[in-house]
Amino acid sequence: MRKMGYLSDKFSRTFTPFGILKNLFRKPMTLQFPYETLPPVEGYRGRHTIDLEKCAGCFICSMICPNKAIWPAEFKGRRYPQVNLGKCCWCQLCEEYCPNEAIKLTPHAMMVTMDKESAILGLGEEGFVPRHQ
Amino acid sequence: MISDIESRLKSKFPDSLLNVVSKDKRITFSVKKEESYPILSELKDIGFNHLSDVTAVDYIDEQEFELTYHLWSHQEKIRAIVKVRIPRESPTVKSVVGLWTGAQIHEREDHELFGINFEGNPNLLPLFLEDWEEIPPFRKDFDTRKYVKEKYYLEEEGYPVVKG
Amino acid sequence: MDIEEKEIAFLTVPFGPQHPASGHFHALLKVDGETVLELEPHPGYLHRGFEKLMEYRIHPQNCVLVDRADVLDPFSCELGYANAVEKIAGLEIPGRGRYIRTIMAELGRILSHITWIGVLSMVLGFDSANKIAWGDREKILRLNEIATGGRLYPCYLCVGGVRRDISQEFVDETSKALDYLEGQLSFYDYFVFKNETFVMRMEKVGRMSAEEAIDLGATGPNLRACGIDYDVRKDEPYEAYSKVKFNVVTRGEGDAYARSLCRRYEIAESISIVRQLLKNLPDGPYRMELSPVWAAPEGESYFCLESARGEKCFHVVSDGSPCPYRVKIRAPSFLHTLVEFPYLAKESTIADIPAIYWSLDSCPADMDR
Repeated sequence: MRKMGYLSDKFSRTFTPFGILKNLFRKPMTLQFPYETLPPVEGYRGRHTIDLEKCAGCFICSMICPNKAIWPAEFKGRRYPQVNLGKCCWCQLCEEYCPNEAIKLTPHAMMVTMDKESAILGLGEEGFVPRHQ
Repeated sequence: MISDIESRLKSKFPDSLLNVVSKDKRITFSVKKEESYPILSELKDIGFNHLSDVTAVDYIDEQEFELTYHLWSHQEKIRAIVKVRIPRESPTVKSVVGLWTGAQIHEREDHELFGINFEGNPNLLPLFLEDWEEIPPFRKDFDTRKYVKEKYYLEEEGYPVVKG
Repeated sequence: MDIEEKEIAFLTVPFGPQHPASGHFHALLKVDGETVLELEPHPGYLHRGFEKLMEYRIHPQNCVLVDRADVLDPFSCELGYANAVEKIAGLEIPGRGRYIRTIMAELGRILSHITWIGVLSMVLGFDSANKIAWGDREKILRLNEIATGGRLYPCYLCVGGVRRDISQEFVDETSKALDYLEGQLSFYDYFVFKNETFVMRMEKVGRMSAEEAIDLGATGPNLRACGIDYDVRKDEPYEAYSKVKFNVVTRGEGDAYARSLCRRYEIAESISIVRQLLKNLPDGPYRMELSPVWAAPEGESYFCLESARGEKCFHVVSDGSPCPYRVKIRAPSFLHTLVEFPYLAKESTIADIPAIYWSLDSCPADMDR
């Protein structure tokens, strides 16, 4: 009968050695962030760095950016790109089409700030420093 | 087979099929607006029972919309593409809801975004946009960037403009 | 004899746009007691107007933008756009590029199906399976990170091939991940698919016959569960699918349980496809170099592919300039949610609504674009 079969099925499943009990003795999958974390991979698309020596001021990076997140800023008589990290979509097109390899994406991914002004990566008073940690 | 379908259509509608191209398991042709519904119902009788899509393209220089019906036959594994041109001033065309039920939602989307009127469709209420007072947004004379700048940006952004 | 006038009033219950109920999709149910009389869908919470945005941007920018059109299976969107543009121009992609694209597309399909197992279990109240599925997703997200540099949005394909090559580390990690996932499939069989409660909630619920399914425009696993074997990978092969052997999974019943089993067996087929491709990977170039302002010649094309949800097609019209003239995306979830879901929800109970909705596997981002 259906009811009898259901009960005996449940009986055999509860006492099976492999199955639910295997999951009980497994290591948990979660990592306790920030004490332990997975190491970032080498080619990860994170925060930008701009090398002032190599930059030629051509602004191909600004023209190719899909969200218009890169705009020019003046420093010591020349113009360099500054990146608005709030608008960036992390696509790496600026690195791919830069002719001198001056703008690159690093694996640094921990970027949190409460201030919209500090999300603009570029010109400070001392030169090109990131405005947030 | 694709040649059987082509010959059957040509014998029934001798002057209506224009620009017939058939290769790679696909048959493509254009028809005039008045003959679109009879030809589509004949295609359904042949065996094209799956309607993939009803797309609309806005050719503003020629002052026409072009509707494209993409059909697929599960039996013969052949795709049929039918194109219809309608004038841009008062675009109306007969709806194919009687043939394929899934066409109702495609026509509702085209009506909202392009302004094409489908006669016979039971429900043409707006789908995505709420309280929209401008022209249908996917037409070519609607500039998205100008609209966003005027409506949502209260002041000009203080960035110098890069020419080029 | 007095004739009484009765006023019948219905209660409207929102199947709201929050995550425990549905995704970002709102539906109003008209109920009478426990029975649902009518369902009125209200889409549009995620409408971003992709098709209009893509008319202002050139092809490399569009390839990066379009993988946000379907959040849970981004590789299929990029594949569709790149192939549609290449078809207009008649470009020949080198062999290694084709194999890499196919491998990533199949990994994206496995990722989407595992996410679906997790979300379906959560909605039916079975939270343990949800958390285990979310942990299994991490294996594939790690593979995405190694190959493309991003976990969810790959930005990997371009017109002409793929943007980066795959390394030996990727091949080793993929083999390990596939072995682990194959072991997990037997665990899911035992824990979810043969679970008495799951079977009782999904069997004979939301039943469609084959003629109704074709008429309503169903594709993908929803159609294959009714007995029709329509799979674009077999009927109009693209990329490297003509070089691998796999089966098309069909069932006959057409209810929610048959749809779930179709997806579960598709995971096993995808694992075997990736294994075959990794064994026969050719050497050589992986990309055709094109300038960023490369323009396709005048013409149009219609390219169909099989995403995790069904048949996805791209209709691209080009007029000889670097930006496309018109892009139309035929999304499978558009028909599943807005035509089939109201049809299946009539004469069912309120408790069956989440089971029907999530067994159709619709993504609100895919529906609205």
